[in-house]
Amino acid sequence: MLFWQILIDGFAISSLYALGATGFTLIFGVTGVLNLSHGAIMVAAAVAAWAASGNLGAGAYVGAVLGIVVALLLALATYYLIVRRLQLSRAVREEEKEIFILTATLLWGIMIQEAIAYLYTNNAKTVLPIVDGVVTMLGVRTPKNEIFTALVCWATIGGLWLFVNRTLAGKAVLAASMNPRGVTLLGIELSTVYVGVWAIYGALAGIAGVLLGMFLGVSSYSAGPLTASAFSIVVLGGLGSVSGSLIAAYVVGYLETLTAYLVSPAYRAIPALLLLVAVLYVRPRGLMGRR
Amino acid sequence: MAPYKTAAARSAAFRAALGVGAAALALAIAEPASAADQAPIKIGVIAEAQSVAGSSIPQAAQIAADEINAKGGVDGRKIEIVSYDNHSSSAESVRAFQRAVSEDHVNAVIASYISEVVLALEPWSARLKTVMITPGAASDVITQNIAKDYAHNKYIFHGYLTSSALAGQVCAAAKDMLVDGLKMKTAVIMSEDAAWTTPLDAGYEACLPKVGLKVLDHIRFSPDTTDFTPIFNKIEGLKPDVIITGISHVGTQPTVQWKSQQVPIPMFGISSQATNSTFWKDTNGATEGVLFQAVSGPGVAVTPKTLPFVDAFSKKFGNQPSYCGYTAYDDVYMIADAVKRAGSLDSDKLVDAMEKTDYVGTIGRVEFLPKGDPHVHGLKTGPGFITGLMLQWQDGKQVNMWPAALANGKLEFPSFVKIATGK
Amino acid sequence: MLRRALPPPALIGLVVVIIAATLPLRVSGYVLGLLTIAYYFGVFSMAWDLLFGFANEVNFGPSFLIGLGAYTAGILDNLYQPPIALCIAAGVLAAMLGGLVLALPALRVRGPYFGLTTLVAVLILQNFVVVAAGLTGGEIGLTVPDVISIDDKVNYWIALGFMAVSAAILYGLTRSPVGLILQASGQDPVQAGALGFNVTKHKLAAFLVSAFFSGLAGALMVFYLGTASVGTFVDVTVGVQVIIGAVLGGRRTILGAVLGAVFLVALGESLRPLGDLATFIVSAVALIVVLFFPAGLLGMVKGAREAT
Repeated sequence: MLFWQILIDGFAISSLYALGATGFTLIFGVTGVLNLSHGAIMVAAAVAAWAASGNLGAGAYVGAVLGIVVALLLALATYYLIVRRLQLSRAVREEEKEIFILTATLLWGIMIQEAIAYLYTNNAKTVLPIVDGVVTMLGVRTPKNEIFTALVCWATIGGLWLFVNRTLAGKAVLAASMNPRGVTLLGIELSTVYVGVWAIYGALAGIAGVLLGMFLGVSSYSAGPLTASAFSIVVLGGLGSVSGSLIAAYVVGYLETLTAYLVSPAYRAIPALLLLVAVLYVRPRGLMGRR
Repeated sequence: MAPYKTAAARSAAFRAALGVGAAALALAIAEPASAADQAPIKIGVIAEAQSVAGSSIPQAAQIAADEINAKGGVDGRKIEIVSYDNHSSSAESVRAFQRAVSEDHVNAVIASYISEVVLALEPWSARLKTVMITPGAASDVITQNIAKDYAHNKYIFHGYLTSSALAGQVCAAAKDMLVDGLKMKTAVIMSEDAAWTTPLDAGYEACLPKVGLKVLDHIRFSPDTTDFTPIFNKIEGLKPDVIITGISHVGTQPTVQWKSQQVPIPMFGISSQATNSTFWKDTNGATEGVLFQAVSGPGVAVTPKTLPFVDAFSKKFGNQPSYCGYTAYDDVYMIADAVKRAGSLDSDKLVDAMEKTDYVGTIGRVEFLPKGDPHVHGLKTGPGFITGLMLQWQDGKQVNMWPAALANGKLEFPSFVKIATGK
Repeated sequence: MLRRALPPPALIGLVVVIIAATLPLRVSGYVLGLLTIAYYFGVFSMAWDLLFGFANEVNFGPSFLIGLGAYTAGILDNLYQPPIALCIAAGVLAAMLGGLVLALPALRVRGPYFGLTTLVAVLILQNFVVVAAGLTGGEIGLTVPDVISIDDKVNYWIALGFMAVSAAILYGLTRSPVGLILQASGQDPVQAGALGFNVTKHKLAAFLVSAFFSGLAGALMVFYLGTASVGTFVDVTVGVQVIIGAVLGGRRTILGAVLGAVFLVALGESLRPLGDLATFIVSAVALIVVLFFPAGLLGMVKGAREAT
């Protein structure tokens, strides 16, 4: 019984991690940016959904859509105001651009987090779930919301895969991640590709944020740990590799769930961190990293 | 029109006033002193302004100050509230305390509802010899420290119930409601790992068996836990009749997850966030049926002062005060009363006056335990003093269940909760 | 004559320190308290600038080293109450060990991985502090029974003196032959290696020096505040404040880091009346500086002088 419990709960939380990590690694793979405001964008999406559906009474669906839109807008703002500005800047040396972008996105994340705390207090919020109630499978009573979460995550990831592999626009994105110069030689405007990728990223982060808000709830304090969790997974899986991130997300998700059930909920984050340390010492480029 | 002026604004205003006052003083010296001293009595308020519970502290303090000033102040002197946001951090609280005493020259401090913060401030209250009272922290260690070194720590007062007192109240309510009323026999304790729950859980483990509830297990989780699924699953596996809670740092998430997982066991005990009037909205109604201890409840006139305070607060700020709002309001009155009886702002004299406090506030009659008691400067509890209430969220409202004399509703549980009667 | 012995920035620095030393006679205890914190942050930022500006290693988790120093000193004092000097020494040692542990994997990887490694170190420390709450006081904080002094003036002079000495050592280091080798190793490790310098050894040394000063300043600050908490010593935002201070003041100048740190503290303080919005605004200002004035204050001055 416990086995099925762990299997099901682990699956739900891993799917959520996978969605968040996919977005994070997509941005890095294509644009080379490690967006440290990732967690803050997810929290902003969840809080926007909460505010719209609960506070203002617009209902669960409208709230969820609004949350995703907010994340989209924030992601685009991150690109235009910060990343693009620094990438085009002539005052900063090439080698230093990375740290400046890292620092700038971190500051931006802090700003978003503080704005949320200022407007809505740092209390945890839960988003009105679209799906309610429980269902009993394999002798385990599971909230329907958990299943909904896992389904939506996989549908989104599936949709992304279809986009990248089956559409022209998606293939341009894939190409840009492998050889930006080559893409420009084909007459495709690189900056258009970037805008597109950031928009997709915003949607991914928004969906992940809203789902997290419905499943577990968020607070302005969650922003940092969410970013940390995303890039731990991405480093484990290999920076820039989407399939690596997916596998790593499940490894981390199940490690955490197993620890929480079998050892103690208090130590849930430890094994994943230790794994991360081991990977950094032994194989820094992660499971399937290429750079 | 800010509800309470902040430190910098107050300082600027004070300096300006000082300039004008200096000129006036020169004239006043020649005259026989009628009103001896017009300088205001400054009370520093250090609180977690961004948290739902903490934000009530400075707001309630300001209401008390305004009321006292409207009636002419204390012997003609006005009360001035100087407010500091500590961002839930001990280090920031320490800096705020240092600033309050050395820069803003406050005469007393009302500090926080987080035990760790108050414990960090205790040595500073002693070092800087400034009276400090907490309206919401619960750890027993606060008063134990005063007992250990009375000479240095006598400036600190514990204006809320200690964790062991809280455990006692929960047990008393459990006996009447759960054991006698619902014939329950077993319980699991679920609490966050924090300074205030260590004595709370010890209290629970001692008193629950005595009232007839066998403790099957005791689960402590990290305060930054976000996923409570494994915890609830574990508890369910033990099949207790009730979950006795000790949570404050978390509240929304475990409550929402309790409902979405449809855990068939009721929750009863301390859930500080559940005392906030916004909790229904924060949890999207998932808190239906949750039972929580409080010192105050809507519509419950614990004392004649309770409801007028709630009205004044709601009118000014648009929401109900959190639990530490009631005590912060009372603390300002008690400090003012102590100043009046002491006839001075000298800290040692204030301590003597505070120790003689016998004041009916919004949550009951306040008297502090005397020197020699192991919980010196803590609140006296029990019938005639502070007894507490046990409330339940029903349909968006907090309804009082206990003590029977103050009850204004009947127990109701959501459909997924199975009350096992007489197993 | 003095001008030939000391370069202009050092001379100006000396004058500033002398003026700063007289401040306690003229300003309130509260301002002194602010400046005390600012000076400790100045040392944090200088230590960071040594690593970044010269060894060209971007340490994204300076708060790992700071936190190690601060918490080791604090926990030791809490448990056994040995003399403060011993606690501080233990803190410094812990920080240096931490620096060593961090340097080993970090020096083996390139690019974004290095920054991530340092950031992961901060997370691990943060998690450890929270999980081992019985030992460390967890999220809300640890109280130490001793402080160096409760007198504002004494604390101020200690901080000022410490910062001045640290600045002198670090600045002197960067202008010494060792410092030049470090700079070469940072900017062109291949060529430096070809010239026969042991690049790894020099970078490791830079790490250890940075760790030494970070840990020492961290431990001293714990015994000034009387408390330690994740939010003051370990959190990523602390690291960001350290980095911003150095960037604001001007990378690769060492002395600029102090300017940046003092400016940040002053900014945060002047915005205090805004309460909750203060952090937001400070972050926004820092962001604007990073985006529009990446050379920082002293960097701009240096650039102007070099241009003429």
